[in-house]
Amino acid sequence: MEHPVGIVLVSHSAHLAAGLRELLAQIGSDAVPVAAAGGRSDGGIGTSYELVEEAIRHVDRGAGVLVLPDLGSSVLTTRAVLDDHPRPDVVLVDAPFVEGAVAAAVTAAAGADLDSVIHAAKQARDVPKL
Amino acid sequence: MYPNSDAALPNTALGNTAFGNFDNAGFDNAGFDNTVFEMAVTLPANLHARPAGKLAQAAARFSSGIRIDYGAKSVNPTGVLAVMSLGATVGTVVTLHAEGPDAEEAVQTLARILREAE
Repeated sequence: MEHPVGIVLVSHSAHLAAGLRELLAQIGSDAVPVAAAGGRSDGGIGTSYELVEEAIRHVDRGAGVLVLPDLGSSVLTTRAVLDDHPRPDVVLVDAPFVEGAVAAAVTAAAGADLDSVIHAAKQARDVPKL
Repeated sequence: MYPNSDAALPNTALGNTAFGNFDNAGFDNAGFDNTVFEMAVTLPANLHARPAGKLAQAAARFSSGIRIDYGAKSVNPTGVLAVMSLGATVGTVVTLHAEGPDAEEAVQTLARILREAE
């Protein structure tokens, strides 16, 4: 794989984001850069502009970055970061947090481009769990 | 005798069966090697997240159309969530089916991943 798409997991909880990142590595996407931006900078529950900004920078390998929010202010905080640093190849995606992350990571690990990875994450909404 | 039938024999020895392996002779596209290949695999473990992830990554590398059948369900193995939604359990049989220029290689590769799942 030349340059994999990067994935940022934005959550109110550091544990939730870190746990999901751990799960993605287990599913075989350890070749994909995944960063967890969970909780506030002081470790509390909430979202952090700085952590999101840093996470995007951390996973950016030049092929684009997909940002997955869990809910609520994860979306608002990410939007604030992207409004200040608008880039066509850093995209906030509306998808289920766990399923979308798994689909995106596996697709990115297979060498897909940013559009395909975004599509895979969004598609996760329509795949039944049972 | 089908040209590639020998390649499927080792799988029979492992308890898996190759159903078909034939050139689509009626296809009138010169130079277009459109083959169909199918193989049943008995799962040594539940088809959970990890093997589903490996399967999806491998499946994306082939140009053939691939599907994996389990009971009445049939999904494209490039979709990791779809593969997990099969709910295929240890000891049951899934069938890999591919159609296209690299059909046999696709099925053999995916079958190997399934057989090695833990």
